[in-house]
Amino acid sequence: MADVDATKSLSGLLNGIAQMVYYNNREITEELLKNELYPEVSQEEFKALHDKMKGLIKSMATADMDHGQLEAFLTAQTKKHGGSGVSAEQAAALSRFWKSQRVRVRDSLLAQSRWEPALRGLSWRVDLQAADSRGNTDHSSPVALMELELGRAGQDSEFVCLEFDEAKVNQVLKKMADIQESIDRVVHRT
Amino acid sequence: MSSSHAKDTSFLGGRIPPEIESMSRNLKDVDQELFRKLLKAVVGALEGKDCRDILRSAAETSLIPQERLSHIIAGMHKLLSEAIRIPLTLLKQEAFKEDLRELKIPEDFITDFSSVVFGNRRAALEAASSQKDPHLPTLEDFKWRVDVSISTSSLARALQPSVLTQMKLSDGSFHRFEVPVSKFQELRYNVALILKEMNDLEKRSILKIQD
Repeated sequence: MADVDATKSLSGLLNGIAQMVYYNNREITEELLKNELYPEVSQEEFKALHDKMKGLIKSMATADMDHGQLEAFLTAQTKKHGGSGVSAEQAAALSRFWKSQRVRVRDSLLAQSRWEPALRGLSWRVDLQAADSRGNTDHSSPVALMELELGRAGQDSEFVCLEFDEAKVNQVLKKMADIQESIDRVVHRT
Repeated sequence: MSSSHAKDTSFLGGRIPPEIESMSRNLKDVDQELFRKLLKAVVGALEGKDCRDILRSAAETSLIPQERLSHIIAGMHKLLSEAIRIPLTLLKQEAFKEDLRELKIPEDFITDFSSVVFGNRRAALEAASSQKDPHLPTLEDFKWRVDVSISTSSLARALQPSVLTQMKLSDGSFHRFEVPVSKFQELRYNVALILKEMNDLEKRSILKIQD
């Protein structure tokens, strides 16, 4: 029973560290984790565990370890003697944690090195002009209105609205096919 | 002139715009050469051309005082823009001429007005005035670059492609932003969807609005 609790507390600690360090969640603090997960452990003991786990996650995150690398890394950690190593239970918890969080941690780290505003979302609408201030209804070719949501990490979005006629949409789509081709060439090579 | 059946209201509406009434009063003893010169300038202005020089030279060579010329030009502008506003299906040439006759505009000038409104200039005038409809900025230029981050301060092996794009809009603004690959797929899918919607719309004739 005690083992189950220990595993739960450790999972909580790992996720708490991820929230603090990688997902910018200000509500989670070291003190909160200590009080909620390890109320009976001494401050020094908790601090040691916390720092060790934080260091391990950092190693895993920086190298963006895949499954094989993680196994090798954790095996090496369990073989370490003394306080610096991890137990088999801790290794299992780390492995579970990484399986579920690897992609998200990687995305958050990539975003840290992105300085241009990034595209966050888009919405669009296709209109048919039915009339204008001159009452004219002759030129009713469709118009696409598009809103792009752009923003830097940690900042509010700005919105760019623009309109396209069909020829322009076609042009942009062709450029996007070129971009896709470039991406594919790069991705297949690596 | 007084027809027995009730005539439809004028294409100018129930109340004749003051510019047009004033024009008709000032057109007396204007010769056709001057009239055509002014008309040409006003049509040019409606098409978005700069006609200040033509008007200046007309004013300098004419014996008519400049103030009267101003009334004439303002009235011509108003009359033509009102006439272009109404779709051809709703404005008949004979009714148009009749309306102008009631304003006591000389017959020769009526013929000239009519040839602008119903002649081959009409398409150009309509196109020019549709440019004045409210618009969002359009895309003028779209440049892109595909980058692969090899390594960053927080990720030893990033190897992550991303697209850097720069758009120039018709209002002169530039927007540069990065598009992560997953977002790029979303963007491309949506642009393709927009094109499909537009094509579908054009095929569907039920949306052709009839007068």
